[in-house]
Amino acid sequence: MFNNVGRDTGHEKGMTYRKIEQNQNAGELSATDPLGSNSEIGRKLKQYYDELISDEIPDRFSSLLSELERQESTRSSADEE
Amino acid sequence: MPASTSFRDGLLAAVPTLRAFAVSLAKNSDRADDLVQETLVKAWDKQGSFQPGTNLKAWLFTILRNEFYSQMRKRRREVEDSDGSIIARLSVHPSQDGSSDLSDFRRALALLPEDQREAIILIGASGFSYEEAAEICGCAVGTIKSRVSRARTRLQQILAIEGEGDFGPDAISSQVTNSAVVA
Repeated sequence: MFNNVGRDTGHEKGMTYRKIEQNQNAGELSATDPLGSNSEIGRKLKQYYDELISDEIPDRFSSLLSELERQESTRSSADEE
Repeated sequence: MPASTSFRDGLLAAVPTLRAFAVSLAKNSDRADDLVQETLVKAWDKQGSFQPGTNLKAWLFTILRNEFYSQMRKRRREVEDSDGSIIARLSVHPSQDGSSDLSDFRRALALLPEDQREAIILIGASGFSYEEAAEICGCAVGTIKSRVSRARTRLQQILAIEGEGDFGPDAISSQVTNSAVVA
């Protein structure tokens, strides 16, 4: 029973230590890359943009490109005649 | 024909990121979609001036950005002639202002001047290098760097004022952390 508690505590301490180490590295990284994944603003910015990118794309863009392509092919076949 | 088909695919593949950039610039999704549409038409017409193998995405962003600023100049003239009611319609679209925890960030971003907003989006979100962003905006690399840095400082100020303590650990997680330290 007590042994278990002791082991858990040791485990927790190990975790905490690793976390501190990671945070120190994060500080160094964010100094060189102010918008990197370790900066709050950088993370929010990517989250904001990813949400916009994952929006459903209206069909109008695909239809528009098909229409432009169609116009071009009729124009070029008209040129050939 | 195969050349134009792959050009078409390239344009279509760029639509999501073009829209995201357009929404960030225009702060309005309807206007953003019009900007993207205009960009695609212009890109198609100027197809011959695009050098295959160069950065299609950067080329498209440049077209979209130019289109945005020329529309804005036109709108400004219209606003000067009228009572300024267009300004009201340029505000953030309600549908972008959802319940997600990003709404504060969106509002903060919308408060930035255009040059700072586009710089921080190009560098921090669209994945361009400082050199590419400078080319897209037609300015020096140093200018982009200082705009990004001012944008970042301004966002931090706005967000800190609007939601103090929001970014710290919440009550539950700090309890967990504390108990872990005690154990």
